[in-house]
Amino acid sequence: MNKLWALLLVTFGLNATGQENLNIYERHCIPCHEHRPYSLERVYMLYLKTFSGETIFKASLKAFLKEPLEETSVMPDEWIDNFSVKSKSVLTEKELDDAIDIYWGLYDVRNKLH
Amino acid sequence: MSASKNKGINLLRSSEQSSLRRFLALYIILVIMVLLLLGIFYYQSQEKLMFSNQRTLLSNHANKELQELRRLHRDFPERTEYPKCSEFRSAIYDIERVEIFSRLKNPNVNFDKEIYRINNTIQFVKYLDDYYLGAKYLFVEIDEDETWYSNIMIDILTLGSITLVVLAIFGLFFVNLFLRPMKNSIILLDNFIKDTTHELNTPISAILANVEMMDTEVMGEKNKKKLTRINIAAKTVSHLYQDLTYLTLNHNRHSKDEWINLEKLIEDRVEYFAILAGAKKVDFVLDLTDATLFIDSIKIARVVDNLISNAIKYNKRNGTIYIVLKKEYFTIRDSGIGIQSNKVGDIFERYTRFNSSEGGFGIGLNIVRSIIEEYQLKISVESVLGEGTIIRVDFFKGILNDE
Repeated sequence: MNKLWALLLVTFGLNATGQENLNIYERHCIPCHEHRPYSLERVYMLYLKTFSGETIFKASLKAFLKEPLEETSVMPDEWIDNFSVKSKSVLTEKELDDAIDIYWGLYDVRNKLH
Repeated sequence: MSASKNKGINLLRSSEQSSLRRFLALYIILVIMVLLLLGIFYYQSQEKLMFSNQRTLLSNHANKELQELRRLHRDFPERTEYPKCSEFRSAIYDIERVEIFSRLKNPNVNFDKEIYRINNTIQFVKYLDDYYLGAKYLFVEIDEDETWYSNIMIDILTLGSITLVVLAIFGLFFVNLFLRPMKNSIILLDNFIKDTTHELNTPISAILANVEMMDTEVMGEKNKKKLTRINIAAKTVSHLYQDLTYLTLNHNRHSKDEWINLEKLIEDRVEYFAILAGAKKVDFVLDLTDATLFIDSIKIARVVDNLISNAIKYNKRNGTIYIVLKKEYFTIRDSGIGIQSNKVGDIFERYTRFNSSEGGFGIGLNIVRSIIEEYQLKISVESVLGEGTIIRVDFFKGILNDE
């Protein structure tokens, strides 16, 4: 019994330590998307093809996350049929902004083209 | 030694030529401005023509590049190399006009023109509907073929020069056409003055000769005075006649330069003007040295006559005229009314008179200056208002008789 408690304690302890090191994007975006057929980078490219420019890109994504609708989604119809539209984000304005900033910086094509 | 003469002094024609030159200069400036404008319009039309020729090519390049961007977007991030083509260079900008990637030689792109020239290249912009890689603007750049530019510049310069020459010839022709009535009027007036002047010669000479010949000893005092007045009036008219003759007849004649004994000349002229001076009770004080000058006798006589005549005319009653002659200069000083210092520079201008109460046309000193300039002498004026005027004429050493 003591061994079981010790194992649970270590597991929670490790998880807690891991969560603390993750940023807002990693904690709230990756967990839902990592098992989906469209990677977050592919979603990024879909958004980029629809919304040119950093400001518009971020504003559009933020608006969608706050109020997700089929009509405003950039995902293909098959995706929506299979996974439906995501639920409203529970993050605060600042958290959303931070998460989107990280997302933009992570896949920014300007840093990758050569 | 011979006098170095300043040719081309022509009082009537020089003003006419100056007006003609000014008009032609203005005309040519206006023609050049019009030609410049036409050149700019021609250049712009040729540039548009060149752009319309290049637009198809650049549009094809842009479509080709768009296909590449579509593939790159699809394959991103597995493939990240921006498309490269030897025929052209390209760049993509997002909707906020921020550069995404560029291979252009000239990074200073213009978002407001579809096609334009910049630093020996032509750039073309295509607006994208699908924002591949986030691009809204696709710029395509090719090197400019500079032959069209040099051909246009040669065309503009050649045609412009030919047109300028033709229009200048037309301008000259029209100026002469428009000036002809004015010239004819001047010639008519000139001829009238010449004829009138010529007609004055005989009666004035007759009056003067007869006055000289009259026996004054048998005359009463009243008649003597009347005769003196006739003599003065005749000499005044004669002096005016000499000036007018010089302006209209003698001015353009070929000068006959010779060594003139200035001492004798001044003595003769003083004697000639003695009666005029006597009428105002003006005395002459002469300090003359033996000096000679290589000059036309009529012209130097006009200089001396006009200076003495003015010294009498503008002198006070009971005044004095001092004439000094040295080897290198002579001065004529009067004890007259003087000239205001700010007007001293104007006295040689034609039709300028010191005092409107005195007679004359104001041409005397203008004649003096033209002769002084012709023989490269130097004339200077010093005047104190109310005290008098000194006029000094310097001769250059080269024309002094040093034989």
